[in-house]
Amino acid sequence: MTTEPMQFQDDPPIQPVAALAACVFPGAGHAYLGETRRAVLIACGVLGLFFGGIFIGGVDVVDRKEDFVWFLGQGLVGPIAFGTDYYHQNHLKVLNTNGTRRSAEPFEVRDPKTGLAATARRPETGEPLPLMTSDGQYMINPKTGQPLMGSVESRPPNSKSVGRVNELGTLMSAVAGMLNLICVVDASYRHRVRRTRREN
Amino acid sequence: MESVLLAWRPFLDPLDVHNTWWIFLIPMAFGISVVYRAARLRSLDRYWRSVLAMTFQIVMGMVLLGVASYLFVMVYVRIAANMGP
Repeated sequence: MTTEPMQFQDDPPIQPVAALAACVFPGAGHAYLGETRRAVLIACGVLGLFFGGIFIGGVDVVDRKEDFVWFLGQGLVGPIAFGTDYYHQNHLKVLNTNGTRRSAEPFEVRDPKTGLAATARRPETGEPLPLMTSDGQYMINPKTGQPLMGSVESRPPNSKSVGRVNELGTLMSAVAGMLNLICVVDASYRHRVRRTRREN
Repeated sequence: MESVLLAWRPFLDPLDVHNTWWIFLIPMAFGISVVYRAARLRSLDRYWRSVLAMTFQIVMGMVLLGVASYLFVMVYVRIAANMGP
């Protein structure tokens, strides 16, 4: 007994639902059309490349503000890429007093309430310092009312990647988006598949 | 110095592979092949063979481009510079 794919020949030439599903999540368009194995392979490949790029270069490689041109490619992965960028912009970057965002420097931490940068240790010696935000306010421990001190564990929320590692991570995540675009187009012009069982 | 000794945090800190970054071109070529072949092959019967063949082609293409660039810069440009006006 074999399983043989049959196509719905009366399907419209373009599949808008499949295209939309493929935009929302890699491989979902092919899954909608009944191509489950193809969908799993596409999802594993696209997400593997996207998160592989972030694994190599750190979350710094997905940055809509600083690397907009690369984000045009990365954004084609779908909401996952936009969610990653949102997390990077709003939960990892620090705020300057003028409201602009930037990556924290090696001896800075992020004030979880205000998002402002605070120097945690003296860069020359690594000596812990009272956490003072860039607008001149000490971060206060609410229990004791005393200024919070930095520690050896006080690290920036993430590290900026540089050089080839940054290039490779950025390239991998952007290539993931461009490949997903191919899959969106492919899902748009593919007929639905109906599996029928046939006796040999 | 202390910051160097602190633990690496996956997905937050970059990997320290500045000398071996080129090895990661192979999994990238493999990932590209997985997605492209999944989308373009009419039948998935010989899928993995096709993926491995495409991965090999991409890697060999990159090696040849690297050799061509090396020969252009280190051989041709030097010869052209020595010929003079």
